[in-house]
Amino acid sequence: MTVLDQEMIANVLRPIEAAKGLPNAFYTDPDVHEAEKRVLFAATWACMGFAKDVPNRGDANPVTFLGQPLLVVRGEDDEVRVFQNVCRHRGMILVSEKTTLRSTIRCPYHSWCYNFNGSLRTTPHVGGPGKNLHECVNREELGLIEVRSHIFMDTIFINLDGQAPAFEKHAAKLLEQWKEFADKPLYHGGASSSFTLEVNCNWKLAVENYCESYHLPWIHPGLNSYSRLEDHYHIMQPGNYSGQGTVVYNPKLDETGRAFANFDDLSAKWDTGAEYISFYPNVLFGVHRDHFYAIMLDPQGNGKTIERVEIYYTSPEMCGGDMADLREKNAGMWEDIFIEDIFVVEGMQRGRSASLYDGGKFSPVMDPPTHLFHEWVAARFAGK
Amino acid sequence: MTAEQRLQQDMLQAHEHEDLEALPGLYLQAAQLRESQRDIDAACFFYTHAYVYALDCGDREIAGEARSRLKGYGRDK
Repeated sequence: MTVLDQEMIANVLRPIEAAKGLPNAFYTDPDVHEAEKRVLFAATWACMGFAKDVPNRGDANPVTFLGQPLLVVRGEDDEVRVFQNVCRHRGMILVSEKTTLRSTIRCPYHSWCYNFNGSLRTTPHVGGPGKNLHECVNREELGLIEVRSHIFMDTIFINLDGQAPAFEKHAAKLLEQWKEFADKPLYHGGASSSFTLEVNCNWKLAVENYCESYHLPWIHPGLNSYSRLEDHYHIMQPGNYSGQGTVVYNPKLDETGRAFANFDDLSAKWDTGAEYISFYPNVLFGVHRDHFYAIMLDPQGNGKTIERVEIYYTSPEMCGGDMADLREKNAGMWEDIFIEDIFVVEGMQRGRSASLYDGGKFSPVMDPPTHLFHEWVAARFAGK
Repeated sequence: MTAEQRLQQDMLQAHEHEDLEALPGLYLQAAQLRESQRDIDAACFFYTHAYVYALDCGDREIAGEARSRLKGYGRDK
């Protein structure tokens, strides 16, 4: 097990003027990555998927997240639950492919059957042939292992160790910041509003790149014409999230003036405002008056991350055939922007193999959101 | 071929062709046949399979019938 250099971690926690970034081991060392699963993911609320993937009762979606086999199920009561995807009998994987279950989750090995709420329904032949009961097999104690979960803006968060504060408390600042959006219904834009990028970088570099606007004029020069660097502001919530906002959001997807409808009852701030937040550890959000997106970062070891992008609109009409071309344009625009970022995060990943690199120097003016994220990582590893 | 042999063959074919919708009814028939022969252990074996396959394919009627018989014999709850 790698012993992290505590002095280097302490350097990250210094005020930004004197701080250094996270040391290379946080991007390259498999032991650190394993520790992150516990310290940064299991102990907090991490994004593991989207409720739109289980739209109907009985829909079951198996997901492997950080090596853990999980199962998302929409129950008869319309509640979405997350379980460990294993039978309580022999630990067999219960569901291997996305499916719609009729009325039970049946283990394919010995056919133990569970209700959609996880309770154990029957245990065939457990007491011998044709005897489905045994005094030592207490069904009440053998329901599926449910993982604590919460859905926020269609994004499924889980707290694997079960010890984090309630999600509402954990995300209280974000819920306040985006209170105008948080309780609005969202409508996924369909197949063209869903795409995935495989990036050869550590997941943290994707977080870091997303939460600062410093790089925009250089990496996304197309934005300079209407969204200049000075039109952006930092968003900073210590220990929770950081990002950037713009005051000149003004989408022009169609020459004829067609546009997506806005969310109802937004304040004037959102007429030209949009905000982009890295919500720690692994989800990147973007809100605009006319659409919302979430990017789940799915770490695949140290040097590879799957970025899963889902885009939502304000009403079923915005998701209909009449608006299909506009949705495609919007998704294409975002995909182009996110692709422009790939060489940067992959370059930084390769850079983390430079043995003398010391974590880097922050700009006290432009890098506070990035430093805030590093500070969160370092503080959790320092036990603070 | 006896009725029992034909039933056995139908069950094997349903498994072979993954005809999941057919399984609950076939196992229910097998259970009832054994029940009529007073072979309760064998009947409950088949009722169990009828129950599980009925749950699997959402056949509430057969699931309810099989479960009820199993409960009656103290084999499930």
